[in-house]
Amino acid sequence: MIKFKKVSKLYPDKTPAAKDLNFSIRPGEFVSIVGQSGTGKTTIAKMIIAEEEPTAGNIIIGGWDITNIKNSDIPVLRRQIGVVFQDFKLLPKKNIFENVAFAMEVSGAKKEDINKVVPQVLKIVGLTKKTDRFPNQLSGGERQRVVIARSLVHHPKIIVADEPTGNLDSINAHDIVNLLLKINQFGTTVVLVTHNHDIVNSIKKRVITLDGGQIISDQKTGKYIL
Amino acid sequence: MFVNLFRTSKFAAQNFRRNLWLSVITVFILVLTLFTISLVFTINLVADQALNSIQEKIDIDIFFSSTASESDIIEAQVYLQQMPEVDQVTYISKDDALEKFAASHLDDPNIQESIAELEENPLPASLVVTAYELDDYKVILNNFEASQFNEFAQDKSFTDYQLVIEKLSNIINRIYQIGFILSIFFIIISVFVVFNTIRMATYAQREELGIMKLVGATNAFIRAPFFMEAIFYAILSAVITIVIFYPTVLLASPYINSFFEGYDFDFMYYFNQYVLHVFFLELAVALFLTTVSSMIAITRYLKV
Ligand SMILES: Nc1ncnc2c1ncn2[C@@H]1O[C@H](COP(=O)(O)OP(=O)(O)OP(=O)(O)O)[C@@H](O)[C@H]1O
Ligand SMILES: [Mg+2]
Repeated sequence: MIKFKKVSKLYPDKTPAAKDLNFSIRPGEFVSIVGQSGTGKTTIAKMIIAEEEPTAGNIIIGGWDITNIKNSDIPVLRRQIGVVFQDFKLLPKKNIFENVAFAMEVSGAKKEDINKVVPQVLKIVGLTKKTDRFPNQLSGGERQRVVIARSLVHHPKIIVADEPTGNLDSINAHDIVNLLLKINQFGTTVVLVTHNHDIVNSIKKRVITLDGGQIISDQKTGKYIL
Repeated sequence: MFVNLFRTSKFAAQNFRRNLWLSVITVFILVLTLFTISLVFTINLVADQALNSIQEKIDIDIFFSSTASESDIIEAQVYLQQMPEVDQVTYISKDDALEKFAASHLDDPNIQESIAELEENPLPASLVVTAYELDDYKVILNNFEASQFNEFAQDKSFTDYQLVIEKLSNIINRIYQIGFILSIFFIIISVFVVFNTIRMATYAQREELGIMKLVGATNAFIRAPFFMEAIFYAILSAVITIVIFYPTVLLASPYINSFFEGYDFDFMYYFNQYVLHVFFLELAVALFLTTVSSMIAITRYLKV
């Protein structure tokens, strides 16, 4: 599903953010990527959604080599990947329903489809009762659930979540992770980037640990080892 | 497709409202630009027509003495006609001349009375000569004076309009040049203002744009509202300009007409024939300006 072959990334200012990364993630897997700050976790997430291009190596997503993806193909890729970033905000002037619907509107979905899919995904994340609230009327955890709902509207095969629990207390953080685990049970591949020891240890799934842009461990049912 | 068009216009309208102040300034400067261009265009139009109507009035009248027989005059007409510079020679007999004179003073009973009392027609027969080119009148006149027919001529009238025309075209050229430079100046300002407005719109919307990109909105969809906004500015300012410009012209028309008094020239009648041209010129210029500058802003600040 996701394959990194000898991927390296140098930012224009020569910061090496990834060095010779080799790993593959099978369909339906749940993978946590951990490591200290500045070790290149976000860089990996960005390369998966073609926001950054690798300097060397190849990235293959679902059999599609996106290493040198054309600009016009990026939207096609992004509709197959749900993105949940910590700083990936909601629009303050739109209510919850509209925020989620926005993701469908901008990719040309029909009104009927929007009215069908948005309640579905809001149900998955458990926000059916709050669809007409605005983001500032929600808790941090609820807001993050809206973001997850939004990432689901295109029925993605992959969800990339970069520090989705970064701003949350541990109860809310666990809720979000449980939600991701639930989505994973539907068959969606989940790539979770996180700092949180407790969470990583409680998930009991594959853990890839990075240090200085390199993989230093890749365990089947891993623990946070740093 | 329709859904997309609808959503695009919705986003574009949002942009317009969010930066209302900037939008107003943008439209204002576009209107100023279009107004200047319309003015230059109209001056050009009027100038051409005015010069034409003055030129049409120019001719040489050759009045023949009463000693000249009709056949002499006809011979002179044939002689003039075969000159390559001559366009038309019209023969006006004594009777024709009197008839014309009477007809042009129909409402003056004194003149009518004295005409009726005339024993002999005092008006001379004449030939009216028009040339193809303005410069040819001198040549024709010189040739005629050198010919054997000159002795029959009692009088020749040729007002030298050339000086008037030259003066007029000088003035018009001046106005035209100033207008042209002014137009260029305003066009440059417009390009910058539109560019900046669209840039501000992309800035104001950076969050939406970020989300749009991450959820897989196509590039066309991301760009479209900004183009739409630009096109909207173009149409709105073209409409406003013509709505202001037409009454302005209407108000100015008596002055312009008085300038051409005695000539066959009715400014409003003439302008009305071209009012659509003016509007489409405005629209074309506005569309060109706004799409080009928004295109630059979009490719520079949207990076899609
Ligand atoms: N756009 C950029 N230009 C230059 N350097 C960058 C850029 N983005 C990230 N970096 C650098 O690349 C390295 C990896 O950054 P990255 O954001 O991937 O780290 P991270 O593991 O996600 O860190 P954190 O846990 O703090 O989010 C860092 O040294 C960072 O400073
Ligand atoms: Mg990061």
